[in-house]
Amino acid sequence: MKTKFLALAAGLMTATALASVPAQADVKIGLLGGISGPIAAMAPAMIDAAQLAVQQVNEQGGIGDNEKLVGVVGDSACNPQNGTDAATKAVNIEGVAGMVGPHCSGAVLAAAGSVTIPAGIVMITPSGTSPEITTLDDKGTVFRTVPSDDYQGRALARTLKEQGYGKVAVAYLNNDYGTGLANAFKAEYVDELGGEITQFAAHEEGKASYRSNLAELAKGGADTLVIFDYGDGTGLTILRQALENGFFDKFVGGDGMKSDAVINELGAENLVTFVASSPVGEKSESLDMFNEAFKGVGGDPDAIFATTSYDAAFLMALALEKAGGKKDGVAAAMVEVSNGDGETIRPGEWKKAKELIAAGTAIDYKGAAGDHNFDENGDVPGTYALWEVGSDGYEVITEMK
Amino acid sequence: MEFLGLVNYALFTAIFIAIYALLALGLNIQWGFAGLFNAGIAGFFAVGAYTSAILTTPVDDGRLGGFDLPFVFGWIGAMLAAALVAWPIGKICLRFRSDYLAIASIGVAEIIRLVIKSEEVLTNGARGINAIPRPAGDIGYTESQIAYLVIVLAVLIAAYVLVERQFNAPWGRMMRAIRDNEDAAKAIGKDVEFRRLEAFIFGSALMGLGGALFAHFNRSITPEAIDPMVATFLVWIMLILGGSGNNRGAILGAAVVWIIWSVSEIATDRLPHEYAIQAKYIRLFLIGLMLQLVLRFRPEGLLPEPLRGDLRGSRRTTKSGTDPD
Repeated sequence: MKTKFLALAAGLMTATALASVPAQADVKIGLLGGISGPIAAMAPAMIDAAQLAVQQVNEQGGIGDNEKLVGVVGDSACNPQNGTDAATKAVNIEGVAGMVGPHCSGAVLAAAGSVTIPAGIVMITPSGTSPEITTLDDKGTVFRTVPSDDYQGRALARTLKEQGYGKVAVAYLNNDYGTGLANAFKAEYVDELGGEITQFAAHEEGKASYRSNLAELAKGGADTLVIFDYGDGTGLTILRQALENGFFDKFVGGDGMKSDAVINELGAENLVTFVASSPVGEKSESLDMFNEAFKGVGGDPDAIFATTSYDAAFLMALALEKAGGKKDGVAAAMVEVSNGDGETIRPGEWKKAKELIAAGTAIDYKGAAGDHNFDENGDVPGTYALWEVGSDGYEVITEMK
Repeated sequence: MEFLGLVNYALFTAIFIAIYALLALGLNIQWGFAGLFNAGIAGFFAVGAYTSAILTTPVDDGRLGGFDLPFVFGWIGAMLAAALVAWPIGKICLRFRSDYLAIASIGVAEIIRLVIKSEEVLTNGARGINAIPRPAGDIGYTESQIAYLVIVLAVLIAAYVLVERQFNAPWGRMMRAIRDNEDAAKAIGKDVEFRRLEAFIFGSALMGLGGALFAHFNRSITPEAIDPMVATFLVWIMLILGGSGNNRGAILGAAVVWIIWSVSEIATDRLPHEYAIQAKYIRLFLIGLMLQLVLRFRPEGLLPEPLRGDLRGSRRTTKSGTDPD
């Protein structure tokens, strides 16, 4: 038996070694995502959106001298163990020139710290929202197409203050999303703007009743409840029970709360005092172009993080084109292709971009999820707006600054 | 595939195997020697990882510490902290037998995970701790991995030698006596409760050390790393497959399972492009299948427990006595 097992393991390794001789002309990028694990339901659409960018590049002339761009899919399983393993394989076995992903912040931090930063590979994550990624000592090689939770929380605090909100209570989901948003909101609302937060409490997801949490939150006399949670999950339960019991008059949500499930379940007539922040880009030309193309390959453009995933892959392709298909210089090129100056490139316009790069003209990518003008930390400032519930779903009240 | 790339991948894999081997050795003390079904490995792993992170990182206002100590203090601190956490848990839970202990230890690991995730003043909550220094981390990619592998291997070998020594010593024989027949051991005057607690604490300290090595390798630790799938059950599979009660089996199991877990992804990547996402699920299936096959055809593991604890002098007879091949 012993020998059989060893033979099996050895056979597997040999098969792998034989099978993995790459065609030399390909330029590879790693597409790492949490395919198994806690975000398994979200990951396939994100990977598909990134693959759409790869497909468009290849249909319109490929990278450099007609070389093929290949997306190598890796499973980061939303944890550091598999994240670093997948990143190591992508960098060393597949020889990728750039990395799109991983999806979860913990995997991003670990993969960046132990693989891509030491190896000098540029990483761009479509969904790692942790503020810790901003402070990473990355020598300029870690980017993201999704704003840090810090940004949205602070922008929401400023907007609420402007809109004349007074004392608020904050309820947030106890994970990195809810905690990140809530802390940024608190830092800005209380420390910078002098507002008052009467209660500030985390809750765990999936309970049947949050009435005791709400009763606790209502102490202190706030008339507004700020909820950082998901509108198709626990956040909906909290909002419903707060409305039923009249704990608060006004309600504010983060982007997770701006879900159609809220309107469908509770009815627009009950939500006149509910507002939520969300990335704009809802009506941009770039988004329409992406939606069209993604529907064309059978994808659902409303899937969460689909737009940021597409943008991340397309930006990586642009940067690689500018850097000549080599990993060196991709970091600098990434900033150049999306710094706000130059000829506008929209999703899918690979041919145009390729010609402009070849001619030496500056280009500026305006993506489906926003303009993506990177700052010195590789972060993008989000473009957010505050939304209210109107007769036809959500409507913009004001832009958030 | 460049040669250097293969070297880097092999180094990375070896480091991970060594870290998992430490966890498996710790579990072997608890399950292999003392018969304690600890299903809360992730909890002690997390305590070690976070303790070392807090001790060795520079000062951060948002959380406890950091104390900016050399990594050696972090690792020793990790073992002590894991042992300290294990002591009251063992005191309470070790009165349970087998499956009850398993349930209690899963609960304890979950409590530790939630505390780490929620207590921002202690651990920076859900955001985790970043910028943990890696020993010899400032040199090049490959060199740094080689240096870290040397350190991790040194730690693993030291742990193996010490645990193996204990296994063959009277202490090890006593533990197995308690495991196999508690009443008999009690009858000849062994303090069963105390000895079981001892084994539990020693094993947990090794798990804490494994956690610390992991955090320094990744230069970060987040609550996402305390996933029971990769930090508890994978270690169990390693020990069962390698052979519980056999320290070399624990290390071999860690190597075999991690290689299959990691390398199988490269193999499944050869499937056609359309199946790229589905192919990832095959890995999970492979691990499950492997466990089933081992339990069915070789329940004692690849390297079974030596029938007589002491391998010195009686290796030949022991081997032919237990190996069904």
